[in-house]
Amino acid sequence: MLKGAHLAVEKVSHTYRRGRQQALVDIDLEVKPGEALALVGRSGCGKSTLLHIMSGLLAPSAGKVWIDGAKVEEPSPRWVVMFQQPSLYPWMTVAQNVALGLRFTGRSREIASRVPEMLKLVELSDYADRNVQDLSGGQQQRVALARSLAPSPEILFLDEPFSALDAFTRGSLQRDVRRIARELGITLILVTHDLPEAVTMADRAVVLSANPGRIREIVPIELENRDDLRTAEYAKARGRLAAAYEHAAGLGLAPGAEPASAKRAATGGGEDGQGRNAALPAAR
Amino acid sequence: MSTDITADPAALAAGSEPDRVNHFQLLRGLGFAAVGMVLLLAMWWVGGYAVQNNPATTAFADFAPGPALSRLQDMLSSGEAWEMTVPSLQRVLQGMVIAIAIGVPVGILIGRVQVLREITNIPFQFLRMISPLSWMPIAVMAFATWDGAIVFLIAVAAVWPILFSTAAGLRRVDPSWFKVARNLGARPWHMLFVIIFPAISQDILTGIRLALGVAWIVLVPAEYLGVTSGLGYSINDARDTLEYDRLAATVVIIGVIGFLLDFACQQAIAKLSWHRED
Repeated sequence: MLKGAHLAVEKVSHTYRRGRQQALVDIDLEVKPGEALALVGRSGCGKSTLLHIMSGLLAPSAGKVWIDGAKVEEPSPRWVVMFQQPSLYPWMTVAQNVALGLRFTGRSREIASRVPEMLKLVELSDYADRNVQDLSGGQQQRVALARSLAPSPEILFLDEPFSALDAFTRGSLQRDVRRIARELGITLILVTHDLPEAVTMADRAVVLSANPGRIREIVPIELENRDDLRTAEYAKARGRLAAAYEHAAGLGLAPGAEPASAKRAATGGGEDGQGRNAALPAAR
Repeated sequence: MSTDITADPAALAAGSEPDRVNHFQLLRGLGFAAVGMVLLLAMWWVGGYAVQNNPATTAFADFAPGPALSRLQDMLSSGEAWEMTVPSLQRVLQGMVIAIAIGVPVGILIGRVQVLREITNIPFQFLRMISPLSWMPIAVMAFATWDGAIVFLIAVAAVWPILFSTAAGLRRVDPSWFKVARNLGARPWHMLFVIIFPAISQDILTGIRLALGVAWIVLVPAEYLGVTSGLGYSINDARDTLEYDRLAATVVIIGVIGFLLDFACQQAIAKLSWHRED
């Protein structure tokens, strides 16, 4: 049985090279092994930036990230990120895509046993030899999940991974990813702007406010039953998270003089633009 | 969760209907190609007829398809056609190998490193626009053998399409492919051989195809230089000996081989491509 890793964020602040304002200020956060944590907040709160920093894809301006006591300096197959786009390699079959992490880390001998196991886990066993371009969006994201899980990571980061999918596919993937992470004991850290997604998948939700990005509130989500979204406990958890989210967003608009739309136009586009652009140089 | 598995475009596309459509399209394409070739032959014949009936040009009557094609048949059966082609193909092949060996790595470097791209952009565009044949006097001085000079000219002509196509292909690669590979633990050589080369293989081959076309065009004037073998030499030789049927037959050989080389490249590109046409 695999064990999830412990992650600690220590006084992390970040300013993009061309940004006038800090994207993140003084983030302190601890994630327990095997926990599922959601980072929520409106556009521009730096949640995606924080995920890139935690996974080592982006170096913070200040502060440190520790995974199981070791300082995070660069990305590693021990903690993998899944993005909104599956980014599968179209010249490879499903099985070849899934095997990549093992191949890159010199564990080719495990491919024969590990890849079928992963495909079974995401329920795509019959698709091993297909070209990934033949698959639907949901199936492709499942292959990306299998690819992320094949090197046996201790943490799985998800950066709004289901937002490009239709509601039904999204729902089944949300439940499956949580179930798989639970079964494997992996720590799950997820960025989302979709509150129901956070409630379905996470044990705790960290609510961030924007300009600059700060932690406003940490909302525990304790649900007995996560398969049925019509229960009273679900509605209650969602209500609590929504209140915290609005509170954080409201603080972002503080002195109240500016209309929300103008504020968003001035700063809101910043996160997506900056967040993604900033990730690219890091990837080179 | 199994609902998205049933919607399978590949299984739906595997019926017999598309096969019939493909056969029809193939026949149609061949038919049109035949019409085009007949038209070209007819124009050649009309030109030859006009040359023959004009007292001023009647000495050149052997350019016409009749004498040229019968001479071509003689050249093919005697092995002369083969003898003149082999040295030319060898020179083109050597020039292409050098152009690929330089163009692909340099193209990858300037496609990947922005500083290099900015430094080299103007010098490379400048060099690219110089006709390769302008280097002829320098090549003749710099190389001990005529063959060396010809291979150099071919390489100079062929390197640019390969280099620019490789660099442009790399710049179009989805940056998230690099991010994911890095996250999965890819080392630099993995990045190069597992991600970059397959991702841009089609761009490299397209560059090679363009380069081969240019190389084949540069070959004939380059072989007007000192050498005593090859297709370019044969053309010059036929002119000097007033054998216009042999000259026209050589032109046909040049065209046919050029076409076959390009066709082979096209097939290789189609075979190696992972891009979906639909």
